[in-house]
Amino acid sequence: MTTELKGPAGTVNEMADSLMAGPSFETKMERISEHEMLLNMGPQHPSTHGVLRVVLKLDGEVVTGAVPDLGYLHRGVEKLAENRTYPQFIILTDRDDYLCAMLNNWAYCLTVEKLMKVEIPQRAEYLRVIAGELNRIASHLLFIGTFGIDIGAFTPFLYAFGREREMILDLFEQLCGARITYNYVRIGGVSNDLPEGWVEKAKKFVAHMKTCLKEYDNLLSYNPIFMDRTKGIGVLSREKAIAYGVTGPNLRASGVNLDLRKSAPYGVYAKFDFETSVRQNGDCWDRYMVRRDEIEQCCRIVEQALDGLPAGEILGKVPKANLRPPAGEAYGQLEGARGWLGVYLVSDGGLSPYRLHIRAPSYINLATLQEILVGWKVADVIAILGSIDIVLGEVDR
Amino acid sequence: MVQGPWAVTGPWAPNQTPEGLRRRYVRSILVLGVLLGGLLGLSVLIGEPSVLFGKAFAFLTAQAARHGVPAWALTAVSLVVPCSIVLGLIQVLPIFMVWWEMKIAAHIQVRLGPMQVGKWHGVLQTIADGIKLLLKEDIVPTGADRIIHFLAPIVVVAPAYICFAPIPFGMGGLAAVQMDVGLLFVLGISGLTVIGLLMAGWSSNNKYSVLGGLRAAAQMVSYEIPRLIALLPVVMWGGTLSLGGLMDAQQGLWRGVLPRWFIFYPVVGQISFLIFLISSIAETNRTPFDIAEAESELTSGFHTEYSGMKWAMFFLAEYAYMFLAAALGAVLFFGGGWAPWPALNFIPSFVWFFAKTFFIVFLFIWIRWSYPRLRVDRLMEFCWKFLLPWSLVNVALAGFLILMRQ
Amino acid sequence: MSYFKTVGGNAWALGKGLWITLRHMFSPAITVQYPHEKLNLSDRFRGALAFHPDICISCDMCVRACPSLCISLESKRNEETKRKDLQWYKIDFAKCNYCRLCEEICPTKPKSVHHTREYELSFTNRKEFLQEWRPEAPQPQGSDVGQIWNRFVTVGQKLGPNPKTNGSSTPSAPAAS
Repeated sequence: MTTELKGPAGTVNEMADSLMAGPSFETKMERISEHEMLLNMGPQHPSTHGVLRVVLKLDGEVVTGAVPDLGYLHRGVEKLAENRTYPQFIILTDRDDYLCAMLNNWAYCLTVEKLMKVEIPQRAEYLRVIAGELNRIASHLLFIGTFGIDIGAFTPFLYAFGREREMILDLFEQLCGARITYNYVRIGGVSNDLPEGWVEKAKKFVAHMKTCLKEYDNLLSYNPIFMDRTKGIGVLSREKAIAYGVTGPNLRASGVNLDLRKSAPYGVYAKFDFETSVRQNGDCWDRYMVRRDEIEQCCRIVEQALDGLPAGEILGKVPKANLRPPAGEAYGQLEGARGWLGVYLVSDGGLSPYRLHIRAPSYINLATLQEILVGWKVADVIAILGSIDIVLGEVDR
Repeated sequence: MVQGPWAVTGPWAPNQTPEGLRRRYVRSILVLGVLLGGLLGLSVLIGEPSVLFGKAFAFLTAQAARHGVPAWALTAVSLVVPCSIVLGLIQVLPIFMVWWEMKIAAHIQVRLGPMQVGKWHGVLQTIADGIKLLLKEDIVPTGADRIIHFLAPIVVVAPAYICFAPIPFGMGGLAAVQMDVGLLFVLGISGLTVIGLLMAGWSSNNKYSVLGGLRAAAQMVSYEIPRLIALLPVVMWGGTLSLGGLMDAQQGLWRGVLPRWFIFYPVVGQISFLIFLISSIAETNRTPFDIAEAESELTSGFHTEYSGMKWAMFFLAEYAYMFLAAALGAVLFFGGGWAPWPALNFIPSFVWFFAKTFFIVFLFIWIRWSYPRLRVDRLMEFCWKFLLPWSLVNVALAGFLILMRQ
Repeated sequence: MSYFKTVGGNAWALGKGLWITLRHMFSPAITVQYPHEKLNLSDRFRGALAFHPDICISCDMCVRACPSLCISLESKRNEETKRKDLQWYKIDFAKCNYCRLCEEICPTKPKSVHHTREYELSFTNRKEFLQEWRPEAPQPQGSDVGQIWNRFVTVGQKLGPNPKTNGSSTPSAPAAS
């Protein structure tokens, strides 16, 4: 992919040059030093989670430089926003981080509500929390499955996908009619109320999930081969994590206890009792375990929310058609499954946003690749890349 | 057992309800029981193959004497027929083994596996795959060394076939070729495969294939050593290198209760079997030691540049070696064709042999789908720093125990 | 001594993993063998759209609500009843993203445009993506072109009876285009 975007440091290739402190990665192989070679982990690859290209500079088996090349999944979502009305944009947020679409919907609606200063009914808030946390569990389950496949364990993938995640998706289908692109969280509340018997089913699922976690532990998490492959690999130190702006489970694995649901609670999160899972080492195993522990905490939150669900309206006082927020700007963020998912919205009082930018956590987290891949063997690259848990839909938007 | 709540309340299809499941289970068990019972009955009817072959050979000798057929013709027939039977067996076995692996893998992963091809649970799936591979285009990369590229699959598969010669498929010397040094022959010839791997990696004109081939070759060569040394106690105890002889040394009962199988030998038997099993898994390039095949995420394996039937040859070789390792394990550790207790002697020996072999094959498959992959350097460390010292300790222990018995 | 503990601990952990896979080998598979078996979908499942021209009041709300601009309609003002009569209504199924915004905004009861449980919709021709409804021919015709609805016998059952018409089991399907 050739891109001639001009940034402050020059074209993409020049930036890459300065990063790798050597020949540009478009160079032919003969021109690099004789003991180094360039390996292109191309956009078509069974182990990159989406279409990601990483150019690796190898010295034998050891990686000496890495440059991620993005943009293969760019669909111009932010530009499309300028031609859609506010309610119409929600479906585009679904397709950003398609693994936790509820949280994407919610981040955008949060921002618009900030701009409009709209009051959201309590029931809607609780429903948002339930939907968001269930979606977070689904996203982490997918991570467990795909990370296992990257390491070579084929079986946990099917348990995570075929049993637990399918149950969550079935729950969502009964709730709003779709399995991945929900369009559920709306400006001012949510779109559908719970159907009959949904609360019981969700509670059953949560109980089932807790027993399954023990199974995942025995099969994958504490498997000596798995721990051997992931412990001590790809260490991201605390300072580097903060310096790169890493958020979410990656940050918590490096020892920083920062969770937006606790430090700056939005919605009704202040009412729930849960812990943030923090680990100290910052290696792949810690990143995996943080997400696995988060599933447990999400189950707790869902249980409490289901128990404390108040009766009431599900949508606040918001015009059904011709929604015009007042002119101004707002930035709303929430704790997504991969980090802090933020939406920056500039409105000029019209039907469509004037400018909308999405702070995608995977995009920021991906920047650390240049650092944490260096010094590890080629076989570890897959493990490290998998453990950062990126979604290319979010990275490229 | 973890059972999903959706088994009852969820939007599953009607045959997932408890009654439907019970019906399916009962039906599967009945069908399986009928099949296995039928096979068992058939084999009991056939009786001991060595007896049958003896009778057939006596009949042929009589006929030859009557019609004046020269003696060398008879010897030729007595050599060619068993070999062709074994060769035919090796062709047919992977068809079953591949289907079995797909089914076991599927059920471990709570899915169903092949169901469509062939009326019952996709039994003809492997045949369909084989036909597909035959019809595929044979691609040779430009710049590849054509002769070596062509010869590499042959060099990988041929030793697999040859190694089946001394394996006793039952009692009474039911092997293709009677050999005094059968064990040494098998272990030696199976080492020739490494050359084929290197040829495959080198001839593909692809630096990642070379790397992959080198890694696979290093892995295979390293793991042969603990495998060999782990089998030494068996030889020490059995007193012979012949596979038929080692099998016969395991007949009988120990204290009238336990079959005199080598795996029941205190400590030494179990350690030997474990080291042999792990090394065999590494030899056949299966997970958790499958860096050669599956690290084609980054570095291509040695057989990436092969398509169609050539690739199928590598695939066949893997399954043939798996069966070979399982057969060795069955003969050396589980008593080969001997029934565990004399009461079960009515079941012919080849049934016992196949049952034991397929049990070990099942172990191979089970381990493959349960564990992630080891990294290359950890793999080599595991071999040289763990398996090898323990196999040597095992030999010392075996010697000590044998000395104590005398 | 700690060496043996590590080895023993690892072997035990590996054994636990093997036990889990063995247990799963004998538990029922979760596969639903499509197309012989199909899942029962929930009521709110957002499948392909269906339209009832006899209920529609041509208010244009769905046209404006759709994010993909897949709906278009034309109406003519009827001077006697002082209402708008629907001339034609088109949905471009290539563009529909199944978001249900059109169904939510539709003011009629029951809804004139709504999602059905049809997920097996397929077309063989790009022209067929644009399906048209006309009020004078709400029932499916016998001709081939554009009658994709008739190919899927189960569609009629999934769509359910149209409450505004005489309750026949086949709802309004797109007219021949």
